[in-house]
Amino acid sequence: MTVIRAFVSRSAPLMACLGLLAIWQVAALMLKTDSFPGAWEAIKAIPSILGDQESLINILASIRRMAIGFSVAVLVSIPLGLMMGRSRAIASFFNPLLMITYPVPKAALMPIILLWLGVGDIAKMLVIFLGVSLPVIYHSFQGAKAIEEKMLWSGAAMGLSATQRMIRIVLPAALPEILTGCRTGLVLALITMVTSEMIARQSGAGNILFNALDMGQYDTVYAMIIIIGAMGIGLDAAFERLRARLVRWSEPAFEIPLSFA
Amino acid sequence: MKLMPSRPNVEAKAAPARQTGAAMITIDRVSQVFRTSGRREHLAISDISLTIEDGAFVSILGPSGCGKSTLLYIVGGFVSPTEGVARVKGKAIRGPGPDRGPVFQEFALFPWKSVLGNVMYGPRQQGVKSGEAEAQSRALIEKVGLKGFEHFYPKELSGGMKQRVALARTLAYHPAVLLMDEPFGALDAHTRTRLQNDLLKIWERDRKTVLFVTHSVEEAVFLSDRVVVMTRAPGRIKQIVEIDLPRPRRRSELLLDPRYQKYVVDIEGMIDDTSEDELRP
Repeated sequence: MTVIRAFVSRSAPLMACLGLLAIWQVAALMLKTDSFPGAWEAIKAIPSILGDQESLINILASIRRMAIGFSVAVLVSIPLGLMMGRSRAIASFFNPLLMITYPVPKAALMPIILLWLGVGDIAKMLVIFLGVSLPVIYHSFQGAKAIEEKMLWSGAAMGLSATQRMIRIVLPAALPEILTGCRTGLVLALITMVTSEMIARQSGAGNILFNALDMGQYDTVYAMIIIIGAMGIGLDAAFERLRARLVRWSEPAFEIPLSFA
Repeated sequence: MKLMPSRPNVEAKAAPARQTGAAMITIDRVSQVFRTSGRREHLAISDISLTIEDGAFVSILGPSGCGKSTLLYIVGGFVSPTEGVARVKGKAIRGPGPDRGPVFQEFALFPWKSVLGNVMYGPRQQGVKSGEAEAQSRALIEKVGLKGFEHFYPKELSGGMKQRVALARTLAYHPAVLLMDEPFGALDAHTRTRLQNDLLKIWERDRKTVLFVTHSVEEAVFLSDRVVVMTRAPGRIKQIVEIDLPRPRRRSELLLDPRYQKYVVDIEGMIDDTSEDELRP
C-alpha cells in the first residue's frame, strides 16, 4: 500500500505533464490549423533544435545572461532587503522607490534601457536583474522584519556586534523567507530573459522562438516553448532541492513532491 | 538599528558610586518612559532603586504590565533607562554583555542550530576552541536533562525542552548574572514545576546571581531569597520580602511548611491591594 502510494506521489508530476501533452495533441487534431501543431510534432522538432550548433549557442547565451542577471540581483537584493527589515530609516528610504518600480512591467522599460545601453548583453541582463530584485528584496525584508527581537538580544548578550548579528543571526533566521523570494526570482528571471530577447532580437532562446514565429515554423515555436518550459521546471526543481537542504531545520514534515527526482 | 538605543548623557556624567561589599547589580533611581504609537508617553517604571548581592536569587513579582520585564531588560542592557543608572559590579550598564545572560519566556533559540549548536554558540563566540566548547556543552546539556537530544533542532522539541536548551545556552558562557524573564510562563503546570525544581538544583550548586521575573507568587517564594513586589503601571517597588526559608529547598516539604504558606498568602495580599488601588479612579 505504501509502495503504491509512494509511486503515485512520485510519478504524479510526470503524469500531469503527460496529461497536458495528451490534451494538447487531441486539441490540435480537432482544430487542424497550421499555426497549432500537435504536441508530437513539437516534440519531434526538439532534437533538431538541440542538435543545431547555432541554436545551442543561442540557448547557452540566454542561460548565461540569466545566470549573471539572477546572481547579481540576489547578491544586491538580499543585503538590501535584510537591512530594510532591520532599520526603519533604510526601509522608509527604499520603500517608495520599490513601490514605484513594482507595478511597472520590467519589459516595458526595455525600450529605454535599449536606448541607453544598446541591444547587447548588458541591457538584457539589467532587465533580468530588475525582474529578480523585487521579489528577493521583498522576501528578505519580510524575513528580517519578522525576526524575534529576543533572538538578537540573546546574540548581543553573547557578545555579537551589530554586523555579526546581521550576518550570523538575521541572515540564517530569514533564510527560509529569502529562498522563497529567490525561487520566485528564478522563475521571473526566465520570463524576463525571454521577453528581453523578444524585444531586442539578437540572440537567445527567445530570439529563436520569435524568428520561427515570423517565418511560420510553428513546430519550432512550440518546440521552443517546451524547451523553455522544461528549463523552468528543471531550474525550479534543482533550486527546490538546494532550498530544502539549506532550510531543513524549518521545514514542516509534509512536503509536496515538486521534482521528478 | 533600533535595537540598542544609545544611552542618555546623564549616565556618563554620573559618578560611579561604587558599592562596597558584594553588590552585583545596583539599580539607582531608574525610570522608563515609552512612547506609544499614539505619541502618548507611557511611564512603564518609576524611580526604582534596588541592590542585588552576588549570589542572591531575587524575584520581581507583579501584575502583567507593571514593567517588571522592562527592569530586567534595563539590567540586560537591551533597553536604556530614561532616567537613572543601572550598574553591574559597579560599572554602568551600556549595553548587553556576556556577564549578564538572559533567558526569555519565548526561548529565542536559534532555530537553524541543533541543541548542541545552540549551546556551543556562546562559548564559540567567546573564543573557546571547538573541541573544548563541545565537551563543555555536552556536559551542560546532560546537566539540564537533555542527553540524547544533542542533534535535535528546536522545532523538534517541546516547550519545556526548549527552555532547558535556552538555560543551557546561557549557562554555557558563564554569565555572572542570570536574567530570567518569566522563563516558565509559557509552560504547562507540570513542566513548570519540574523546571523550577531543576533550576533550583542547578542554582543551589553554583549560586549565580539570579534576577527572576514572574507573576506567580508560589514560584517567586519557592525559588527566591528575596521577592520584590511591584505595583501596577507605572511600576514602583511596593515591598521587598526576604524569604527566610532553609535551603536546599524541596517542593514536597515546602508546600507543607506553614512559613512558606504564610509568605504566599502575605504576598498575594500585597498584590490584591495593588489591584484595588488601580481600580479607584
